[in-house]
Amino acid sequence: MEQQIQGRRPVAWGDLLVALGVVGLGAYFLQGAYRIRVLPSYSNIGPRFFPFLVAFALLACGAVLCVQALRGVRGIPEEAEDVDADAPTDWRALLVMGGALVVNLLLMRRGGFIVASTALYLGVALAFHERNWLRAVLIGAALSTAIYLAFTELLGLTLPAGIVPL
Amino acid sequence: MLETLEALAHGFSIALSWQNVLWALAGVTLGTMVGILPGIGPALTVALLLPVTFNLDPIASFIMFAGIYYGGMYGGSTTSILLNTPGESASIITAIEGNQMARRGRGAAALATAAIGSFVAGTIATVALTFVAPVMVRVGLAFGPADYFALMILAFTTVTAVLGSSLARGLTSLLFGIGLGMVGIDLQSGQARYTLGSLELLDGINVITVAVGLFAVGETFYVASRLRRGNQKVEAIKGSIWMNREEWSRSWRPWLRGALLGFPLGSLPAGGAEIPTFLSYTIEKRLSKNPEEFGKGAIEGVAGPEAANNSAAAGVLVPLLTLGIPTSATAAIMLAAFQQFGLQPGPLLFQRAPDLVWGLIASLYVGNAMLLVLNLPLVGMWVRLLTIPRPLLYAGILVFATLGVYSLSNSIVDLITLYAIGVVGFLMRRFGFPVAPAVIGMILGPLAEQQFRRALAISQGDYSVFFTRPLSLTLMIVAALALLVPVALDMRAKRKGRTVEVDD
Repeated sequence: MEQQIQGRRPVAWGDLLVALGVVGLGAYFLQGAYRIRVLPSYSNIGPRFFPFLVAFALLACGAVLCVQALRGVRGIPEEAEDVDADAPTDWRALLVMGGALVVNLLLMRRGGFIVASTALYLGVALAFHERNWLRAVLIGAALSTAIYLAFTELLGLTLPAGIVPL
Repeated sequence: MLETLEALAHGFSIALSWQNVLWALAGVTLGTMVGILPGIGPALTVALLLPVTFNLDPIASFIMFAGIYYGGMYGGSTTSILLNTPGESASIITAIEGNQMARRGRGAAALATAAIGSFVAGTIATVALTFVAPVMVRVGLAFGPADYFALMILAFTTVTAVLGSSLARGLTSLLFGIGLGMVGIDLQSGQARYTLGSLELLDGINVITVAVGLFAVGETFYVASRLRRGNQKVEAIKGSIWMNREEWSRSWRPWLRGALLGFPLGSLPAGGAEIPTFLSYTIEKRLSKNPEEFGKGAIEGVAGPEAANNSAAAGVLVPLLTLGIPTSATAAIMLAAFQQFGLQPGPLLFQRAPDLVWGLIASLYVGNAMLLVLNLPLVGMWVRLLTIPRPLLYAGILVFATLGVYSLSNSIVDLITLYAIGVVGFLMRRFGFPVAPAVIGMILGPLAEQQFRRALAISQGDYSVFFTRPLSLTLMIVAALALLVPVALDMRAKRKGRTVEVDD
């Protein structure tokens, strides 16, 4: 006769890492709270009170989350319109998107807003599996130029022009 | 009562100037658009527009923001009816019945009942807002710092206890937000906190950067990581937009019930529109003469919840305008908008800037009417938006997000912060941490700290002041209940579940 043993749920490693991150965050706020200088003449509740409160509370939450993760309790990923919540994480997409953001940061000052934004547009579109990259570049360039003109001419804000002669 | 009507009439004279009507139109159009599009919502839109409206007239800006807020609700229901996968939890109910109706060829009737119901409920709720606001203002004037602090604690507990999958996660999100809000110079003592020796951080972290990072960048990372493959089926709009007599007769009572349910629940610091819509659905199902239709396209299941949703949205404006307490992420962003213009919503706002407040309230009526026109006859146009290819859409969202934050102070550091917060936003969504408490915490946290310290300064260090003032004590007790009751119910449910397992 087979006995069904209630198996232990496996440790939720991802959640555990995040929980440790929360503990780390609490620790960061704690050491930051110690660094806040308090003038001895200030007699009321000082600027350290809330930071200490937040830090300790975060440490407590982090501890609870660690315990939950060790017990195998997972956080429920959010549902959203374009999301398939059961799919595994698409790391390639994340890396491509991250890369697009970094490129955007690097190009913004030297290349200018239009160039940087077009690159960003292309990068994100590729991360979302856009096959027609030429279309993405054209739309990105058009959109960036339109925004650039609208903001600098109509609204009077300044954006870096970079290498584009506008 | 007469004063209120006079104030409202004055407000109309402001709201009906042709410029403000155009601003209202811009707002509701934009709101409907972002309500329909995935990945972008009213909170994010207002956050992105804040830098742009900096130099504009505050009344015009707020009329536009309010239009975006209401428009977002209308647009959201269009999406849930025509597409089976709604974004926000408040739209899930509409999706259940509305999408079923669409599949059975009655999509147009579903859209009509949603739009008309939203208009009816929105108008009723705005009337309620008009008359409740002055009363709340008088109540608010009696609030001392200790009471305000207790009220903010209540807002914190309801936001963390209701939203999100677990209390620890909601609390972590809230604390993260409060922590971010603490960066910078402490106004009361002049000391720098968490600035890492950087001059830039002395001013604190801009709430727009955080909001855009959490909403736009974080959401885009998350969707990229789990993109739904294959095109979703957009139901064609069949049937006549003009509902037939039976549909009208089955709709009007749910509209009224939804309106009555949504407004009070929306105005309580109870975190959003989910409770009213779920309640409305349950009530309509119980009261319906055709309960077996529920789940297959019962029109009451669209009429009631949509009405509740919209009147709850108006309800949220009550604590925001009269007490300065935001009860949802969008409300928190609107509070940040007020702060940006140097205004503090609350009882004093009604006295100091009556033009703004009453102009805003009057324009809500105008906006509601515009939305009805926009969403019924023109719905075919909006539906095209649903077919925008996702790669192009999200790429555009990120370009706008980058632009919005960069234009704040032309600083690369802002962009780095934006993207870093975006990564945090991704992690939060992936691991089930609710995002709204972080935004509310960041905006409300500093205010709460201020009130706390003021209260203690006045009572000269006596902590019991929070429990001896009757108002403060009541609010604290309610806050404690809001926190403990769900936990207790949860534990009871788990214990019951376990006994069932053992018996097997």
